[in-house]
Amino acid sequence: MIPVELHYGASTDVGLLREVNEDSHLVAPPVFVVADGMGGHDHGDVASRLVVEEFRELAVQGYDAARGAEAVARTLAAAQARIAEFDATNARSGGPTASSGTTVVVALLVEQDDGPRWLLANVGDSRIYRFSPAGLDQVSVDHSVVQELIDAGHLSAAAAAEHPERHVITRALGGTVSGEADYFLLPLGSAERLLLCSDGVSGMIDDVEIAGILGRYDDPRDAADRLVAAAVAAGGRDNATAVVVDVVGLGDDTPYDSHAQRASLEQKLGALP
Amino acid sequence: MSEMSTDVGWSYQAGPWFAVFGPQVTVLLPESERERVIRIWATVDAGGGFDEVLDGLLASGLSSLPGFVLLGAGTGPTRVLLRGSDVSVTLATGDDELVLDGSASATWVEQSVEGVTGLRIDIAESGDDVHFPIHNGLVRVGRVDRPAVASGAAGAAEPELGAPEVAASVEPVAEEPVAREQLVEAPVAEPPVAEPPVAEPPVAEAPVAEAPVEDLPTEMMPVVDADLVEAAAAEEPAPEPTPADEAGEGSELEMPLSGDPLTDPFPPEAPPVGEAPEVPEAPAVPEVPQAPETSEESAPEEPATPAPEGWVTPWDQPAPEAPATEAPDAEAPEVALPVSEAPPFPAPLAPPGVPEPPAGPEPVTEVASSYPPPPPVSAPAPPPLGIGSWEPIGGFPPPPPPADTDHDGLTNAGADQGQPPPPPGIPGQPPAPPVTQPVARLMISDGQDVVVDRVVLIGRAPEARRFTSTEQPLLVTVPSRLHEISSTHVEVRPGTGADHGTAVVTDMGSTNGTVLVQPGLGPEDLKPGIAVQLIPGAIINLGDGITIQVTRP
Repeated sequence: MIPVELHYGASTDVGLLREVNEDSHLVAPPVFVVADGMGGHDHGDVASRLVVEEFRELAVQGYDAARGAEAVARTLAAAQARIAEFDATNARSGGPTASSGTTVVVALLVEQDDGPRWLLANVGDSRIYRFSPAGLDQVSVDHSVVQELIDAGHLSAAAAAEHPERHVITRALGGTVSGEADYFLLPLGSAERLLLCSDGVSGMIDDVEIAGILGRYDDPRDAADRLVAAAVAAGGRDNATAVVVDVVGLGDDTPYDSHAQRASLEQKLGALP
Repeated sequence: MSEMSTDVGWSYQAGPWFAVFGPQVTVLLPESERERVIRIWATVDAGGGFDEVLDGLLASGLSSLPGFVLLGAGTGPTRVLLRGSDVSVTLATGDDELVLDGSASATWVEQSVEGVTGLRIDIAESGDDVHFPIHNGLVRVGRVDRPAVASGAAGAAEPELGAPEVAASVEPVAEEPVAREQLVEAPVAEPPVAEPPVAEPPVAEAPVAEAPVEDLPTEMMPVVDADLVEAAAAEEPAPEPTPADEAGEGSELEMPLSGDPLTDPFPPEAPPVGEAPEVPEAPAVPEVPQAPETSEESAPEEPATPAPEGWVTPWDQPAPEAPATEAPDAEAPEVALPVSEAPPFPAPLAPPGVPEPPAGPEPVTEVASSYPPPPPVSAPAPPPLGIGSWEPIGGFPPPPPPADTDHDGLTNAGADQGQPPPPPGIPGQPPAPPVTQPVARLMISDGQDVVVDRVVLIGRAPEARRFTSTEQPLLVTVPSRLHEISSTHVEVRPGTGADHGTAVVTDMGSTNGTVLVQPGLGPEDLKPGIAVQLIPGAIINLGDGITIQVTRP
């Protein structure tokens, strides 16, 4: 794989209301993960930790960078199997029978013919944003009831933030819902900074505030800290986790050429021979 | 087919069905399957092989396909697949003749025969007596012969076939049309019969048998059913045990043998022909026109009900036999019954029966797995097909399984039991094209050369959103000094449906648009989001001096 320099920072906080932090995250370049466990009975943290363990294994073992999506799919399947196994063990030992589950967002570098790219995957309502000079852009699409309402045109994005069912997700690892991930491929140049976060961040502070913090702090560690701090300050109703990853030293290889553009315009207008 | 592949040509009589004659295979489809004919045409005409065409045929599901005939040429035995209540294939070998009836199986009838010297396909409603010769092409037919029959008299075929035995064998065929018409009646009238069971997945034999009686005011129905079902029921169990008893490895050897017992079941099929005069008279003439309609109507309805599960493939059906074989005589009749029902009833019955089979399949899957290695084909003149059985008796392994799992018995068994091989597509939905055969090559003016065997996204800094792990697209970055090219400008992907086998291009909502120049046509502005089929030689202009030339892969 082409060496790409990555700078990153991560931060997590249990929040003000919860007693257990069920979020887990992984920074093991070139693999980054945020998982938001759920299921109450303080077992959500196990589910999210299992996912992170699987991806740490992937990062250690390495993967075929040309077939990243398959590697991620396999890892997710392995994590799902372990979560099911955990639930089964739990049920046998008379523990809580509620099945545990977790969301997950993954960012890892993969290789294509003309260079490395970000391969992103998401299951559930944890999110991936990219931040570039063009602004903040939510890449992942939540697997949630609210998102489905928005897609169907029944709900505005603004109203969604207040919707009573905004925490109900339609996909997760573990449990009875589908664990199928959506995948995204982004060129590195268009995503100089990536943010992976749990809904404890994106649900507490809006995109404008997120963009403001990401733009204000150049160091990804500072950015991650500030995002989580802002989420807690805004109420901290849920565990908040943020991972910020910068691609360094990768200028836009197709910079906007104002000279060429002007020349072209003049040619079109006939100002030049 | 080796004999036949020496080009003796085909002839056909005009009729309602579509026939696609290709270099490798010949496909017949009912008149209602115009869309499918269009799709399959490209594959067949391009010299697509048997398995490839079969995949294409079934791409949108078997249940929506009321009938078809697929004939393979090439070296080796003649391979025949047929399905449908009103179609039959007659194969003449050296001294024997084999009649395959499409209504004999709920899924399809499959047979491969060596040393075929003559072949005839009959559609129920035959046209007049004029035979047109044809090599490759797409025509509407009521009857197809090979070798070609001189126009005028069907009898003319006999002398041409040369071998005196053949002549003998052809004659019975000649008689058949008479009986056949009526024979057809029975199956035709039955589609409605088949429907009730659809609603009853569990499929008890009794309900099935009764349902028709209740639902159908037609009086002759019970009569026909009784005959067929009983005959089949009586015969079917017999052959089944034979192969299965020896299950395991030995079964390979048994396979050819199993054909012998099957000569018994065969008669039941033949009898109807002879009995035809009695039974069918009632529904005879008036029903003929209606028949096709009902069968067509019933077919479309079906997918709605049992769509995915209802999917029937011949290779996951061996299951039901397992119980039959293991449970000797006592249970045999019971278990076998659903099996035996299959033959007399056309398509619709299949779905309900299927869910059950997967239940207890171990031994059978082993049997199935043992098919591939032994080319039972070698068995001389294969006995008459076990009509109504999905096993390629004395034939060859079912097509798809060998592709993924023919390594060892265990793997195979596991695959067969746990999850039947995934159907080629979800009925009613265009199959998602993950990585397929290359359909085109893109030569980009900046020097890149891209093969289109999956989704290809081209742009200044292309990105792909919301795909699944199996269909990872290829991102192709092109330089754009003036930023006239959008970050994700166009998509080129293998086409589906009518575009199968070609590439299609879609403008992804680019800022400055895309111009397409197809050979022989003027420039055309692509509309965002609308896919356009690409002809080799087409040129896609993205602006900023970047053009993409489309060539064959």
